[in-house]
Formats: sequence, C-alpha cells, structure tokens
Amino acid sequence: MSGSPGAPRPRTPVVLTGLASAAVLDGRGDLELMREMRGAEVECGGVLGQCVRLTGAWRVRLRLGETETGLPETCVGSAAVPGGWRTDHAWGDLRVVETVAAVSGVPGAVRTFEASTVGPTPLDLRVTSSFRPVLAPVLVEGIEPHRFQLEGHADQLRIRQRVFGLSIRSSVAPSYLFLNRGSWLGGRWSGRIDAIGAEFSLPVAPGAPTTLSLLVHGGLVRDLDAAEAAAGAVLADPGAAARAVDADDRAWTASTPSLTFPDAPTLTQGYERARAGLRRLYCAPGDELTGLVAGYPWYAALWGRDLAWMLEAVAWLGDFDWMRRSIDTAVRYQCRADLALVGGEPGEFPMQISPGPVFFYGTSDTTLYFPSRMEEWLDHSGTTEMPDGWAEALDRSVEWGRARADPETGLLRHGGEAEEIAAAIPELARVRYGIDAPDTTIWDSADRRDHAIDIQALWWQALDAAERLGAPSAGDGSGGSIASLRDRVAACVRRAYPWPAEEYLFDTVRDGRGEGPVRPNALRAVSAGLFEGDVARRLVARAAQPDLSTAWGVRTRSSADAGYDPTAYHEGQVWTIATAWLADAALAAGDRELGAATLVRIAELLARDELGPNECFRGDRPEPFDSCFLLGFSVAPFLTVLFRRLWGLRVDARRARLEVRPAFPSGWTNARMERLRVGNGTVDLNWTPTRLEVRWTGPGPLTVDGGTAPVVLTAGAAGAIPLGPVRELS
Amino acid sequence: MGALLAVAETVEEGVYEPGSLRRIPGGLALALDNPPLRVGAFGGVRVLVEGVPVTPDRLRLRHGEGTPWRTGVEVTPESPFPWGPGERTEFEVTAVDVPAGTRICVRIELRSRAIPPLVWCEIREVPAPEEPAR
Repeated sequence: MSGSPGAPRPRTPVVLTGLASAAVLDGRGDLELMREMRGAEVECGGVLGQCVRLTGAWRVRLRLGETETGLPETCVGSAAVPGGWRTDHAWGDLRVVETVAAVSGVPGAVRTFEASTVGPTPLDLRVTSSFRPVLAPVLVEGIEPHRFQLEGHADQLRIRQRVFGLSIRSSVAPSYLFLNRGSWLGGRWSGRIDAIGAEFSLPVAPGAPTTLSLLVHGGLVRDLDAAEAAAGAVLADPGAAARAVDADDRAWTASTPSLTFPDAPTLTQGYERARAGLRRLYCAPGDELTGLVAGYPWYAALWGRDLAWMLEAVAWLGDFDWMRRSIDTAVRYQCRADLALVGGEPGEFPMQISPGPVFFYGTSDTTLYFPSRMEEWLDHSGTTEMPDGWAEALDRSVEWGRARADPETGLLRHGGEAEEIAAAIPELARVRYGIDAPDTTIWDSADRRDHAIDIQALWWQALDAAERLGAPSAGDGSGGSIASLRDRVAACVRRAYPWPAEEYLFDTVRDGRGEGPVRPNALRAVSAGLFEGDVARRLVARAAQPDLSTAWGVRTRSSADAGYDPTAYHEGQVWTIATAWLADAALAAGDRELGAATLVRIAELLARDELGPNECFRGDRPEPFDSCFLLGFSVAPFLTVLFRRLWGLRVDARRARLEVRPAFPSGWTNARMERLRVGNGTVDLNWTPTRLEVRWTGPGPLTVDGGTAPVVLTAGAAGAIPLGPVRELS
Repeated sequence: MGALLAVAETVEEGVYEPGSLRRIPGGLALALDNPPLRVGAFGGVRVLVEGVPVTPDRLRLRHGEGTPWRTGVEVTPESPFPWGPGERTEFEVTAVDVPAGTRICVRIELRSRAIPPLVWCEIREVPAPEEPAR
C-alpha cells in the first residue's frame, strides 16, 4: 500500500475505473454518493460493469458485541492510491483499512478490508455488507427494476434481471445471508429485492490482522460464467486489480504528449488534469465495443456525439489504435435500414451503444462528426488507406445528410427524431412513455428547428472532409457533387445567418427567417472557417459580452433573452464545452488574449472542481447544477484547443508534414511540447517568441511549416523553424 | 435484439406498478415504481383521464405510506416534487367519472425545470374495482 491518508474528506465524488468497470463513491469508505441531479438529490454511488449499473449504494456496517456503526462514520483518513482509493477507519480499539478498486479483468469492483486492533484483547468483529441491485443499462436513466431472480451458489450469489446479471463473491464465507429485512437460507428466489446482504465473522487478535475482500462484478448474464476464473483470481490477489489499472494508466500517460506553459502554470496543470480525466473515460465494455464513455455519474455508456468530441482529443494524444477501434465501433452500429423503434435512419450513427448490444439513434448531429474524425485519424496516424468499411460508412453518412438537406439551400433540416420514436410505439400499447422533445441538437432539450447554425457548420465540415476523402457524388442521378453542395451550404450560411441587430449570427433559420436567441453555437461557424477576418472577430467579441460570457464560462443562452433560465440545461446554464468553443473561435479569429484567457478559465475550473470542470453550472452563479462531475465534453474540447489552436498545429502524417502556427498571447516567453505523435514518429517543440526548435524522431523526413519557409527535418534531426508573422487583431 | 427487448421490457415493467390502477371513492388511484424516463425535481404535474385534464386540486401524489400527500396545485417550479430512481409514487385523482369495466387511458405529465420538455406516460387498462372498506 502506498500513499499516506490525509484527513477525512468531505463528501466529494471519487470515480475509479477499469476498462469495463467503475466504482462511484464519496470517498469515506462506502460506495455511496448523494448528488444533485436534475434538481433533486439522487443516490449515484455503486458499481458499474459493462455499462450496466450493477448496484445502488453499497454499504458496510461494523459490529462489536451489541454495538454497531456504519463504516463512513469511522473514517479518519482517505487518499487516492495507485489504481484505487484507500480509507482509514478507527472505532475504539478497532482499526480498518479499506481499499476500493475498479477491476480490469472482470467488470466490477473489489473492496478489501484489513482489520486490526490496537488494544490488548481480541475482538469479535462482524462486518455486514449490503446493497440494492439495479441491473439496468445506463440508457434507461433513473429506472431501477424491483424484481430479480436470485441464486445462491457455493462460492457466490448471482442476481439476474432479464439479460443483466451480477455476481457477489467474498474471500471469507458469509456466516449469515439476508434478503430485504429477513434472513435467507440460499437456493433460488424470485421477486422484489430492496436489499441483499451478508454478514461475515472476522475475529481480530492483537498482532494478527484479518482480511476480507468482497467482489461485485457483472453486466450481461451471458458473460458471468466466462468471468469465473478471473473473478477467483481477483479475490485471491485484490491488490493486483488496482496495480493493473495503475500500470495501464501510467503506460498510457507516458505515451501521450507532455505540455509545459511556463508563463501559465495553471494551463500546464489543467492539461494534465484534463488528460487524466479523459483517461478515466476509456472504455472497452465487451461485445467488441471500444470507445470512451460520456461521463460520470450518469452518462457511463458510449454516446456517439460525446465519443466524436473526445476522439479529436484522442488523436492529439496520439492514441491512434484506440481512435481507430472507437470509429470501427461506431461504424459497426451505423444504421443500415429504417429502425423506427430505436430512431434509426439509414446512414445514421448511433446516439448510444452499450453491450448487449443495446443501441439507440435519434440525434441530428452525431452522424456529421464522423467524416472529420475519419480524416483526422488518417492525418495523424499517417495511414494512406481507409480501414475496411470506412469508405462505405462515409458514403452512407453523406447520403443520410443529403436526405435531410433542403434542395435549394443545401441546409440540413433537423427535428422530430425523438417524436418519431414515440410515434413508433403502438398507440394502443398498455403502457407508453415519451419525452416531448421536438429537436435533438447538442442542446437536445431546446427547440432549435429547422436549421441550427452549429448543425450547418457541422454539415459543411462533414461535406468538406468527405470531399477530400473521395466520397462519391450523389448517386440519385442529380449529378450533384459533394463540393458543390458544400459550397452551397457555405454560401447560404454566410447569407442567411448574419444578425445585424446583434452583430452576431442567428441561432437558427426557421421557415426561411433567421431567429435568435444569442447562443454560443454560432461560434462553431467561426471555428469551421465559415466566417473569417474582421467578421469572425466581431462575432467572437459579441459572444464575449457579459450576457453570454461569465467569469465561470459561457451560457447556453443569452441572459438578456426572455427565454433565459439560469437553471435550464440548455436555456441558460453555463456549459464548459461552450466555454471551450469561445476559446477555439477566439484563437481561430486571431484574438490570442481572449483565447488564452478562456483556456485558463477552464483550467482554473479543472483545478477547483472535484474531478474536472463540471458539465455545467447555473447561469447566475458559479455553482454546478444538474451536472456530471466528469464529462468528456468538458475535458476533450479543452485538450483539442490547446493543440490545434493555441499551439496552432496541423498534422498531415500521410504527407509527412506538420504546420506550427502558435497563437500564444503577447508577453509569453516560452512553451514546450514533447512526444507529439506524427505517424510513426514523435515531435518535440520548444517555442520562444523568436525561435521554434523542433526535434523529430520518425523514420523518414518531416516537413515542418512555421508559416514562412518550410524546413525538412531528416529522421532523428532537430532544427530551428522560421515562424511567420503572428496575426494581430485589427 | 434480446438485450434491446430486455431494455424495452425493463422500461415497460419498471415504471407502472402492474395492476395498481384501481377505483377509489370518486376517482382513481395508481402507482409508479420509478419516474418515467427522467428523474429529478418536477415543477409541474398533470393527469389526464381519457384525454380530460384533472383539475390540480383534485390530484394528489406522494412517495408512499407515511409521506405527506401533495396536491397538483402544490407542485410548482418553486416547490418541485423530487423523484429519484426506484422511488415508488402513488397518485390519486378524484371527481373523475369512468364507467365500470371500461378500459381507460390515464396520462401523467411531468415537467422538469432543469430539462424543460415534458415527460409523460400513459397507462391503458381496466381499473381494478374499489377495495371494500375495512
């Protein structure tokens, strides 16, 4: 055991993850975490396996004679340890050290208790473990089944809810089992379960500590048998689970770039925290699925839109293998036919995937991200051939968009996706459910029909990438080329969206007319390059006004608008991803000071918040509300902007080229980067205002373009690169 | 598609407590084992029987025996009704006239302030007869 426990922590979130596992806790010993969600206090603690919530709060009680206490009440210290979380407990003469770890080998979590006494006499310690099973995939937010099948085996208990199941094992045989409020003799049982538990007898003698390990693992019932041997190995050496997670994390971190900003140490730390946060989201939950989960505590599944945002950062971090496998996963679930019950249309990329498989469609933007992600993978990895299936997937994506495009303007029409799902459920079914959400852009609780600006920017980017990747022209006989459609979209966006009264862009075009409110989404058109020069800078300056921008980030809707509500998810709350959009657009438009200051603002949140910048905050004060405490949306765009905009990098490993156009603010004296992967090599960069030194370790020559005369570096060479003039604000 | 079907069944059977729709003096009662599709604090609740809205003062709800009833009037954005996963919630409506032995549609609508679009569920069933007074 390494690490020295500090003082007991207040109840703040801790997330431990393996590639198919997660444990969520409040840091005081038990796997419990009360958290505000959608305005109400909700219990979010427990164990997840294979993107299935296995348990609710998992609690332990200690009993000595007739006296009993909850484990958290005895907590005297806690600390992160490599791959896990340790808490120290003191209760009279009893001392307990608990270590919790998410397991890599089997999807679940293991808790190990080492009990000892500081007194002269032996203690007859009884430990009671209990939880309420959940066994529902993350997809069904907030629905906890009540009816289960329970089976007692010689060395484990198994609980099943349809195709989802879990196993509970212990290193010490339980002396007593209980079900709900009564004792249970084992065997088979079916019905409502509010609590399942076991008591363990642990005699503790002076100088002879006793150890108990408890393992909960599962997800899909069909995978439980195959996990038997691995589960036994975890119980035999529970410390190995934490060590394995830690070793994988260290190896991954060592393979990613290091960034140093001596003039902005907060940004250096922010990068490291964001990178560590992104790593926690890596997920390979089984069923040959690979990706990153959207966030914790309540979005722990592969969401297509969130995955696309994260994969851009994964490319910059150089994890090309994970990026390719993630895109492969999304491509495999790209819809091939009309699947109305799950909201799918041909060519559409999935909104959510988890093992089972469980998959769902019905967003207006997810499909549009993937052409660019495919191109970025090729650019960064240097692979010249598209992987199997990608070209066809690209074509299907474009055709999906064409089917939604306005024949005149080329603008992509969205809306009605969720309503189509509800409509597909038979009208006379005994029980029906629905959400009256008419639209599904990234702000999917807002009605932004028919042509939201960010959707058009994405559509334009998708067409632009598809054209470069060689996707075919329309096969419907119209003869329309992708390039001409792309250009038509660009022309229409430039013509129809400018909003003179606000010196900004309309949020959407509906029935041919531009409509507000002022939202940060318009900045995506600047980042895409649809608006440049002074126009772009004016748009950025408008977004930086205090009705949209606050000291803690950027609102989803202007506070000056009548529809603004500071606690509405997409109608006024501050979102960290929107803050990253401002940084991105500011740097794209040449406002280096605003761009860097906005990145520092996110980095400060990274330092302040528990596990990273929160998903969102109230619009009227810097208080997280209805917010995941760790979200890919909040860490990944920040990472991407550091590389693409602040450093000004453009990687084209297929042509062995690297562009470097730094946009560091005036007054900065130095910035350094090591281990940026470019194809099969790595690049180190050392910038000062007068000089850029580049070291290249790849197998062949690399052309580095600093904006003036490109320099060719041979394998293993270093050189000074002349930099072009910095674009200044007019 | 087994897992997808399991999800659909989990949703269908995880929310409405089977057979809980029953007659009570002057009205109907039913129970949900979970909030439908969305959790959190609801700032508005409405029940419609056969498409006809029940007036808010004739609607009441609570999380279970021993917890206080709240009328529809008392559920407001300023005083929302919190509803977490797995929390059983009872609904009662009165001044509702439904012919005996008829399959009816009861629609419950909930409005979250945090995520505005309406969440709803509909139960189509013949209500169980009124329990005899004890």
